Amino acid sequence: MKFYACIKQVPDLAGPMRVKDNELIQDSDRLMLNAYDASAVEEALVITEKHGGDVEVVLVGLEKAKETARKALAMGASKGTMITIDDGLNLDSAGYAEILAAFFKGAEFDVIVCGKQSQDTDAGLTGSMLAHKLQIPYASNAVGLDVDEASGMVIVKRQGDIGQEIIELPAPCLVTCSNDMNDPRIPTLKGIMQSKRKPFDAIDVKTLGLESSDLNSFIKTKVTGYRNTPGRKPGIKMEGEPEDIVKQLVDLLDNEAKVL
Amino acid sequence: MSILCHIAISEGRIKRSSLETLSHARHIAKKNNMEVSAVIIDVKAGNYVPEVKKFGVSKIYTIESPLFEHHINSPLIEALIKVINLEKPKVMTFASTESIKDVLGAVGSRTKAGVIPDVASFDLQNGTIHAQRPIMASKFLADTESNADLVLVSVRSGSYDVQESPGDAEVIKVDFDFDENNIRQKIREIISTSGDKIDLSEAQIVVAAGRGVKDEEGKKLIMELSEVLGAAIGASRSVVETGMFSPSTQIGQTGKVVSPQLYLAVGISGAIQHTSGMVNSRIIVAINKDPEAPIFDIANYGLVGDLYKILPLLIGQIKSAKNK
Ligand SMILES: Cc1cc2nc3c(=O)[nH]c(=O)nc-3n(C[C@H](O)[C@H](O)[C@H](O)COP(=O)(O)OP(=O)(O)OC[C@H]3O[C@@H](n4cnc5c(N)ncnc54)[C@H](O)[C@@H]3O)c2cc1C
Ligand SMILES: Nc1ncnc2c1ncn2[C@@H]1O[C@H](COP(=O)(O)O)[C@@H](O)[C@H]1O
Repeated sequence: MKFYACIKQVPDLAGPMRVKDNELIQDSDRLMLNAYDASAVEEALVITEKHGGDVEVVLVGLEKAKETARKALAMGASKGTMITIDDGLNLDSAGYAEILAAFFKGAEFDVIVCGKQSQDTDAGLTGSMLAHKLQIPYASNAVGLDVDEASGMVIVKRQGDIGQEIIELPAPCLVTCSNDMNDPRIPTLKGIMQSKRKPFDAIDVKTLGLESSDLNSFIKTKVTGYRNTPGRKPGIKMEGEPEDIVKQLVDLLDNEAKVL
Repeated sequence: MSILCHIAISEGRIKRSSLETLSHARHIAKKNNMEVSAVIIDVKAGNYVPEVKKFGVSKIYTIESPLFEHHINSPLIEALIKVINLEKPKVMTFASTESIKDVLGAVGSRTKAGVIPDVASFDLQNGTIHAQRPIMASKFLADTESNADLVLVSVRSGSYDVQESPGDAEVIKVDFDFDENNIRQKIREIISTSGDKIDLSEAQIVVAAGRGVKDEEGKKLIMELSEVLGAAIGASRSVVETGMFSPSTQIGQTGKVVSPQLYLAVGISGAIQHTSGMVNSRIIVAINKDPEAPIFDIANYGLVGDLYKILPLLIGQIKSAKNK
């Protein structure tokens, strides 16, 4: 089966970041592969290793996102396509989905895997937007994925509100992946060396038949500023004999918080 | 012009978070001289009409079909599109459930709407929706706006209070003639675990286990504590990864967002990816042997100590406090 993973470069949340004058400032240039997309790549690799096939990756981003695409190649993807956009475009999920849709209209695939959300925006929209634009069935928030060799059906275990649903989808289809699915592999030195010889296309949106002016019309939402999340104040910290502090806690829950 | 509110049904009940969102939508509609309508999509949508009538809406759409027995995205999308086309709202609101997360992007794409998912608050001013979204595992809030002709907003649970308001809504039954052959996905199986007994996202009390809960003995203590409290069970990613707790119980960036009256974090360090799912709880209790654990920074009451010593005592004392 032919898999494509849509991958995104995101800032490392563990890196230093702050808000100043409504703007989000990153005090480091630590960028990484979106964790959910790493799980999507991993799962596609595992399935193609088991049932045969091939995994390509596609990324929409700035020039510097190239290294993230390279990482997916080092994990084992066979080819990368980087669709470069201009800085300052401020695309939302709808905008990215539109560009990805233009790309996939010229590609052949069985399964597109996405992350269930971007770690930086926590939006979780691009996957189902893209599936709709391509008119293909999809499942989101997958915690398990496989292919039934006999029927050729894609089997998704998705985390729902209550319990999990096991769904089968015919190819071509799209699946968005949770990081509960697997533990993505760390590229080996050999993988990194090989990645340098793998095919890598860098194209711009014009190649896909889109104009920069089109891109602005795709954007439906805009972020006007950032703030710190209002914090909670630490309360009472109790240390000492377990008997004493438990007694104190139950008293507080009962009489102060009134939650018992 | 109107605001249309989706009313989510789960396990035979209206989700509280839908009523929270509806209560807030009514408030915004009033300010903007708009009406509020609601839509219920369920096998037995009609059953929930009396309850929704208590919320001062002008119209209630119901869409009934056996297809809504289990969540499956394509019929739900069709039903939502159908009612959007009938009502032509300026804004449509949703409780941010897993089912809605599954379809929101597709509905937005179909209707060319502006989509603002998983907000902590929102307002409508001069035709523009202004919302605050927790981003980067709730490290920051992003002020997000959209002035599209239709804006879809999904709201985190616990963001608003439920407030009734009398009214007598017109009820509109919408025919749903969806051809089952158009469903390209098939449900093979639904797996539910014992941890799903109480709907975690709506629970008043949550007992959550982390890596400090090392073994079956620890898990038993968590179960016992949740039983005496009538609590739902939650978990950090660490213990979901080991398989000790089901992914359905995970709370945080990947997992669910909860906002109970009382949240007990047992053996949880307090990584932002976890706390992003529970910081809006009213009272947070942390039990951790490391006095420096970040969870203590957000806890109202912190107990420093070994959970294996503390939980048995706590279970006993809560029992006696309740029998008083
Ligand atoms: C993209 C992404 C998404 C994520 N999503 C989530 C998510 O949704 N939910 C989530 O929880 N995590 C999530 N994580 C993982 C998160 O970053 C943390 O790794 C995880 O929350 C840690 O779980 P923990 O607190 O149980 O374990 P640890 O951080 O290992 O903490 C265990 C704690 O238990 C204490 N302890 C140990 N023994 C005892 C004892 N006997 N008595 C008392 N205390 C004890 C220790 O002092 C320690 O503080 C995500 C990570 C990423 C990268
Ligand atoms: N710029 C991008 N390039 C490639 N894939 C993307 C991009 N943005 C989003 N995606 C995919 O869509 C998923 C969810 O996106 P979001 O709607 O941003 O949460 C990501 O995990 C990726 O799989």
